[in-house]
Amino acid sequence: MTERPYWLAAGTVGWGAIVFWKAAELPQFDQYAHVGPGFMPSAVGLGLVVLGLLLALQIYRGVPFEEQGAEDVGEDHKVNYMALGLAAAASALPMLTMKPLGFVITCTGCFVLVAAAFKSRRWHLDLVLGLGFSLLCWWLFRRLGVQLGGLLPMMGV
Amino acid sequence: MDAITGLMNGFSVALQPQNLFWAFVGTFMGTAIGVLPGIGPALTIALLLPVTVYIEPTAAFIMFAGILYGAMYGGSTTSILLNTPGESGAMMTALEGNKMARQGRGAAALCTAAIGSFVAGTIGTLGITFLAPPIAELAFIFKPQDYFALMLLAFLSVSVVMGTSKVRGFIALFLGLSLGVVGIDKQTGLQRLTFGVPDLMDGVEMTVVLVSLFAIGETLYVASRFGFQKPNLNPLAGGIWMTKEDWKRSWKPWLRGTLFGFPIGALPAGGAEIPTFLSYTVERSLTKHPEEFGHGAIEGVAGPEAANNAAAAGILVPLLTLGLPTSATAAILLAAFQNYGLQPGPLLFINSADLVWGLIASLYVGNLMLLVLNLPLAGLWVRLLFIPRPYLYAGILIFSLVGIWGVSNSWVDLAMMAGVGVLGYTMRVYDFPIAPVLIGLILGPMAEVQMRRALAVGQGDPMVFVSTPLSAVLVAVSALILIVPALLQWRRTRKIDMPDETAGV
Repeated sequence: MTERPYWLAAGTVGWGAIVFWKAAELPQFDQYAHVGPGFMPSAVGLGLVVLGLLLALQIYRGVPFEEQGAEDVGEDHKVNYMALGLAAAASALPMLTMKPLGFVITCTGCFVLVAAAFKSRRWHLDLVLGLGFSLLCWWLFRRLGVQLGGLLPMMGV
Repeated sequence: MDAITGLMNGFSVALQPQNLFWAFVGTFMGTAIGVLPGIGPALTIALLLPVTVYIEPTAAFIMFAGILYGAMYGGSTTSILLNTPGESGAMMTALEGNKMARQGRGAAALCTAAIGSFVAGTIGTLGITFLAPPIAELAFIFKPQDYFALMLLAFLSVSVVMGTSKVRGFIALFLGLSLGVVGIDKQTGLQRLTFGVPDLMDGVEMTVVLVSLFAIGETLYVASRFGFQKPNLNPLAGGIWMTKEDWKRSWKPWLRGTLFGFPIGALPAGGAEIPTFLSYTVERSLTKHPEEFGHGAIEGVAGPEAANNAAAAGILVPLLTLGLPTSATAAILLAAFQNYGLQPGPLLFINSADLVWGLIASLYVGNLMLLVLNLPLAGLWVRLLFIPRPYLYAGILIFSLVGIWGVSNSWVDLAMMAGVGVLGYTMRVYDFPIAPVLIGLILGPMAEVQMRRALAVGQGDPMVFVSTPLSAVLVAVSALILIVPALLQWRRTRKIDMPDETAGV
C-alpha cells in the first residue's frame, strides 16, 4: 500500500467537481419551492470537493490507513495481484458477454474465474460445477418470475 | 387500533400456513448466512428483492425479518464453536464463548447464547409492539422540517459513529448522496446527472449499489488477500444443557444486555456493535467471578448475545414508525418497502395494518423457530463452514448477477456492478465505512423532498429548519455530534503537540 494515497483525495475532488459542474447547469432556485433541482446536487458536489481537500490535508499529515478485517483474509494482508486481477475480470466479464451470450454462459465464466482467483486448480471440475450451478439458478429464478433473458440470446433461444 | 388487538390480528396473519412457511424459510436462510462468511443479512435481502415482486408483501417481510433475526443466531454459533464471528455483532461472543468451547463447555455457551437471544428477541419484540404505535402517532404531527432535522441527525451520526475517521465517513455519505440525486427530479421533471444515459433516468438502483459494494467488493478484497485456515472444530463435550449455576449466572446478563441493545439499536447509527461491547464491559465489572473473564465466563456470552438480538429488534422501530433506516440492513428493508409502493411511517400502521402487525407477530414466531432450529442443530450449521471457498465466493457472485441482472436487464447496471465493486474494494483497503453510502443513497432523496417542502412552507426562509421545538433540538444535537468530537480531538492534539513545540524551541 502506498504511504500517501493522494489519488483517493483526487478522486473525491474529481467526482465532486463533476457532480457540481453537471448540477450548475440546472436551475438552483425556482419560483415556488424556492429551492430548484440543482441546489441539492450542487451542495453535494461542493461537499465532496471540500471533503476531498480535507482528506488530502490528512494524508499530507500522514494519517494512517489500516485495512479492514474480514473473514478468510490472511493475517499479514499480503496482496496477491494475480488473484485480484482474476476476480476483477470476473466482475467485468458480464459487461462483455451478458448481452450476446446470455446469463448461463456468463455466469459459468464468472464462476471459473472466481474459483481460479481463490486458487482452485481443477479447471474442468470448476467448469462443470459452474455450468450446472448457473443452469440451476437460471431455471429456478425464471420459475420464480425473475427476468434473466434467454438461454442463448445470440441464437435466439 | 391499540397494540393488543393489533397483535392479535397480527397473529392471525402470521400463523397462516403460507406465512409460517415464509417465516421458516427466512429463519433458515438467516441462520445459514449468519454462519457463512462473505454474506450477511443486508446482502441476502438485496439479492432476494427481485424475487419478491412475485410474493405478496406480508409474506416477503415476514421472510426478511426471519433473515434479520436468524443472522444474529447464526453468528453466535460460529463465534462459539470456531472463534470466527460471522457478523460484527458477534465479536464479543467469540471472546468468552470460544474459550468456553475449548474447555468442553461449548454446549452450555451455545445454550446461553440461544436462550439469551430468544429472551432478548422476545422482549425487543414486545418493545416494538408497545412502542411503535405511539411513536407512529407522534409522527403524524411531524412537519417537514422535523423530518428533515431527523434525517440530518441520521446522516451525521451514521458518518461520525461508523468507521474510524470522520472525514472518510462523510466522504462515504456524500458518495451515497451524489448517487441518490441521479435521475429525473420528481418536482420539475428535469434530468440530473444522467449524462444522457436513458437507463439512469429512473435513478441509481439501491440493490445494484448494495450488492456491488458488499458482494463484489468483498470478493475482490478477500480473493486478493486470501488466507484460509481450516476451521478447527471444538468438540461438543460436557453435556448439552446448562447447569443450575449457569442459569443463575445467565439470566441477569440477558436482561441487562436487552436493556442496552434495544434502545441503542433504535438510535440512528446505533447498530449492534456498541451495545454488545457495552454489555460485555458491564458484565465484566459486575461479575462475581472476575477471574473467569478472558478464560470463558458465561456472563460474557449471555450479555452480548442478548444485546445483539435486542438491537436487531431495535432497528425496526425507527424504520416502521418514521421510515428512518439506521443500518445497512434497515436501508435495504426500506428499499423493499418502496418496491412495493409502501412508505413506512405512521400511515403504514393504518393503511397496511395487516402487514405491520403480521410482521411484528411473525417476530415472536420466528424467535421460537430459531430457538428450535439452533439449539439441537448447532453442530450441523457449523458444517456449512467447510464449503470450499472457491465455490462459496463463486456462488455468491452468481447470486449477485441474478440480483443485478434481474432488476432491469440493463447493461448500465452491469457496468455499475464492476465500477462500484472496485469502489467497495478500495473502501475496504483504505478503511472507509460502507453503510453511510447506502444511507445517503436511500435517505438523500427523501431528505431533499422534506427540505424543499419545508422551504416552500416557510417561503424560502432558512430559519424554518429550526422553527419547531423538535427540529430545533434535533438540529442542535446534530451540531453537537459534529462539533464535540472535533473539539475533543483538537484538545488532544494540542496536548500532544505542545511538548513538541517546546522541544523544538
